[in-house]
This record gives sequence, structure tokens and C-alpha cells, in this order.
Amino acid sequence: MLRRELNELLTQTGPGTPMGELFRQYWIPALLAEELPENDCPPVRVKLLSERLIAFRDSEGRYGLIDEFCAHRGASLWFGRNEEGGLRCSYHGWKYDVTGQCVEVPSEPDNGTFCATVKLTSYPLVKVGDILWAYLGDPAKRPGLPEFEFVHVPSEQTYTSKRWQESNWLQALEGGIDSSHVTWLHSGALKTDPLFKGAKGNQYNIGDLKPFFEVAEADGGLFVGARRNAEDGKYYWRITPWIMPSFTMVPPRGDHPVHGHFWVPIDDENCWVYTFDYHPVRALTPAELQAMKAGFGVHSENIPGTYRPVQNKDNDYLMDREAQKRGEHYSGVRGIAIQDASLQESMGPIVDRTKERLVPADSGIIKARQKLRKAAIALRDEGVTPPGVDPAHHRVRSAAIVLPRAESFLESCGDAVTVIPGTPQTSV
Amino acid sequence: MNRPILLNSCARAATSAEARFRINVPIAPSRGTRVVALDAGAERVVRRVAEQPWATARFFVCKSPTLLAQSNGEVADVGLLSTHGFESRLSLELAGADVAMMVASTDDGAYAARAIGDACTLRGTMTAGVVLAGGRDAGETVSALRPHARVLLVTYDEQDVSELLTALRA
Repeated sequence: MLRRELNELLTQTGPGTPMGELFRQYWIPALLAEELPENDCPPVRVKLLSERLIAFRDSEGRYGLIDEFCAHRGASLWFGRNEEGGLRCSYHGWKYDVTGQCVEVPSEPDNGTFCATVKLTSYPLVKVGDILWAYLGDPAKRPGLPEFEFVHVPSEQTYTSKRWQESNWLQALEGGIDSSHVTWLHSGALKTDPLFKGAKGNQYNIGDLKPFFEVAEADGGLFVGARRNAEDGKYYWRITPWIMPSFTMVPPRGDHPVHGHFWVPIDDENCWVYTFDYHPVRALTPAELQAMKAGFGVHSENIPGTYRPVQNKDNDYLMDREAQKRGEHYSGVRGIAIQDASLQESMGPIVDRTKERLVPADSGIIKARQKLRKAAIALRDEGVTPPGVDPAHHRVRSAAIVLPRAESFLESCGDAVTVIPGTPQTSV
Repeated sequence: MNRPILLNSCARAATSAEARFRINVPIAPSRGTRVVALDAGAERVVRRVAEQPWATARFFVCKSPTLLAQSNGEVADVGLLSTHGFESRLSLELAGADVAMMVASTDDGAYAARAIGDACTLRGTMTAGVVLAGGRDAGETVSALRPHARVLLVTYDEQDVSELLTALRA
């Protein structure tokens, strides 16, 4: 349960809000690199943290992320022409470079100085891995670039997709921290999904429906451990890292690629879900890539040419009651990503947390909310840099491991939950 | 017909406007939560938390000596002292409780944790543990509580005790 004012504090990310300012301390995913595939390609509308922006890639390959609307009369630059080193408004020809600087106002004299006085808000946009990352904060406090492992392994070892989710970012993130729903909502996938099935760990999942949970602090956020009984008096642990503000990884299964998510607020009622799969030491196989692109694992099948899932609100997520009866999909909705999205969207655009009935198994969510709230207030009141800004905090992994009962998952798994380049994931 | 024709009968009802029509009744009474400090460090925290207004939560410290004779031949009972000063027993306090929260800063309360865990298992009472790590190596404390707490929070922030209780409507 959260008081109304705390729910508003955590869910509102527009300019000037405490949580919005918190998000503006980090590099956040703004687009997939594939959305700006070549120099002078069409610009893309981008809404981030309730700010309407336009992204483009100029003739020199430089990326720009600037105010969507022309300074002249407020027309959208999405209709503009991306040519000769800048984006030109189609209305009266005003032209802007990737920094938002106006470089030409055709109605002014050729040697005029007026355009030098016109500059749109702009933010740095940088390609790291398959993602274009934006930083919407104070330039003087711009942190080092992201060091998450999935964007630094060779390109043949990683794949990232994205989808639009019609809910506030926080209820989506909370799904990534909440390990207990996997046993129910995603139970069908453990047996059938090509990116999950066959792992020994699945047997532990299916064999123990009442896991114990341990939540521990990490430099950048939390580690949430779920433990189940294994053979010979041992425990099977699944360890989920959360790095602030909205990065989580799913514990791996067998030699399947490792996956995770970034939840990025579009506005207060929508978010982008960036979903990645990577393998630390080998290329993804053609079959794995095909499965990911088809929406298996934690990815979604999107409407061609868009990032909206084929299964969405407008078609009741293609609910299949027969598949639900057969036990093929626990909820009747196909695919892990849309199983999550369907339930999280059903809560409403911003779930009313004043009415929750939380239980101790929700401790990970409770602790995450507390860390977000404290970080946002410490930033607002004292200027304290929040956890997760330091790129060193990004070098974490999820892990699945069988340990003797007396061993603590974090003390025994230090290496397993730390990125050691060139070493495989710890998985069962 | 297998297609909904009204907004409120399809997934599109998940809008702010439709949220106005959600049934709005008072939230049911909170859980019966018993909070037990297992050692002196935890006692200081629990006593501070107990001063806040709570709905039904009750707060205790383990008395010394902690364990009473096994009252039913199977599970040891634990002598408790409430933060209001009255003496009680675990077996009495667990009646009507649905969560037992153990708070520890050392492994001094390992035996009490076991007794509480066993008693809760017997009664089907949920168990939670908060380990106040306080910047120290909390490994032994965590090991002491792990078998007996279905949910364990290892934290540097003693406010987590009240955060958890608030979230649980205790």
C-alpha cells in the first residue's frame, strides 16, 4: 500500500517532478538504432519523460534529439526534410542541426545573424550497442555511458527489441522485480518456449510452487533471490538484479541466452519496454534469433512497421480460453511479454496503490519503491546523485545456481552476479 | 458472439475514465502482525517503530531466557515481552496473527528464530525476517534466519521495518 501522494511521486516523470528529475540523471534508451538506420534517413518522433522530441541522423551520421516543434510557428519537424547536415522544417524552411541550433532562416538576409539566436532544446543521443541512449539532464552532470553487458558484447551475441506498453512505467517495472508471478503466469512457457525449455532449473521451478525470497541491497539497486528446494538438501536460487531506475535482468535457464528489460516512461500513462537477450560467450544461433523476432522468450510479436504488439488491448490480447484450459498458457494469453503486459495494463494507466493488499512476498517491490522515493527526495533536497548513475553499477548479471542450504546467495555468488567479460553466465 | 461490444466488457476498459467505475469500498482490516526483536540491536529499532501508530500490529522482544519448556512436546514456546511492558508467550500471540516478522541485528536470536519459525509452520502463519546489516557482514545473521523466514530482507536501513509494516497495512 502506498499513500496517494507517494504513488504520484513515484509515477509522475514529467519535467520538474521529483521522479522525472531522477530519471534525468541517467542515460536512458530513447530508440533502437534500427530506427535511424542511415544518414539522412527519415526523422522519428520520440516522446520521453513527457517531452515531445524528434530524433534524426544527419548527413555526417551524427544523431540529434531535439524539440519536436519548430521555433518559428510550432510546426512538427517530423514533416521536415533531413538533408545536408540538418533537419529543415517543411513549413518555411527553417533548418536545425543535431544540437538544435537553427542554422538557416530563409526569409532572413543571407548574412543575417537572426538564426544564431534561435536554438531548440536538444539532448545528447549516443549509440551504445543496438540502442540510442539519451540524457535529458543537466549537461554538467552527464554521467559515463552505460556499461550494461548486453550492449557491450559483440553484435552477433545480442538482440534487443522494444514494445509499447499502455501503462505507467512503475507497474511494468514492478513486474520485473516480482519473481513470484513466474510460477503462475508464465508456468506454461517453461515447458514450451524455445528460449526457456529444457533447462534443469525449470524442474525446480515446477516442483516447488512456494519459493522463499531474499532481498538484499546492491550498490545500484537490489538483488532479489528466490530460492526453491533442490535435491540433496540444497537450494536452487534465482537471482534478479534491479539497477535504478528501471533495469532488471531475468535469471538464466540452462545455456539459453540471458534476458532482461528497461522500462522507459513515455509519459505517465505509457512506457517503452526494451527487451534484450544476449549470451556472454557465444553468438546467438539462427534459431534463437528467429524465436526472439517471432515474439518468443520475453520478446513480443509487433505489428509490422510499428512497436505495438500484435496482441494488444484492442483485441483482448487474443485471449485463447481453450489454451488456458489445456494449461498451455496459464492466463490464456500467448507469450511471456504479453502475459505481463495484459495484466499490467488491466490495472489501469496508473494503478491506484492506495488500495493494494501487499503480502510479505512483495518485499522486493516494497523495498524498490522505498529506494526510488528516497533517491528522488535526496536528489531534490540535497542534490545527491542516485544509485545506478555510476556506470560501475551496471556491471551486474542475473544468475541461477544450486547452493548448499547454509550458504548465502550473495556471499556465494559474488562472481556470478558480476560481469566478468568472456565468462559464461551462471545458470542451471 | 465472442467479441465484446461495450467498452467496459473488453480490455480497453483499462482507462482512467473507466477507473471511476471500479468498486470502491473500505479496505478490509489489516493483517494481524506480530513483530519480534530477536536481539538487543533489533530491540532498539523495534521499540522506536512501535511508537508509531499502527492498526493491529503488536511489538515484542524475546525475554531472556528465551525458550520456555516445550509446551506441546514438539515445538518450543518463546517468552515475549511486549514493548508496552507486559509478558506473554509466542503461542498466545500467534493466535489470530497471520504474519510474524522477526527483526535481527546479530545471530544471538537463532534459537528463538527457529522456535518462531516452527510455531508459524505449525499454524500456517506467514513469516518474514528483517536483518539489520548496518554495514557489517550479516552472513551469520542471515543464515540464522533463512530457514525460518519465508521472506528475508537484508538491509542497511532500519526504516525498512516500518516501511514493510506500512505496506502490509499492519
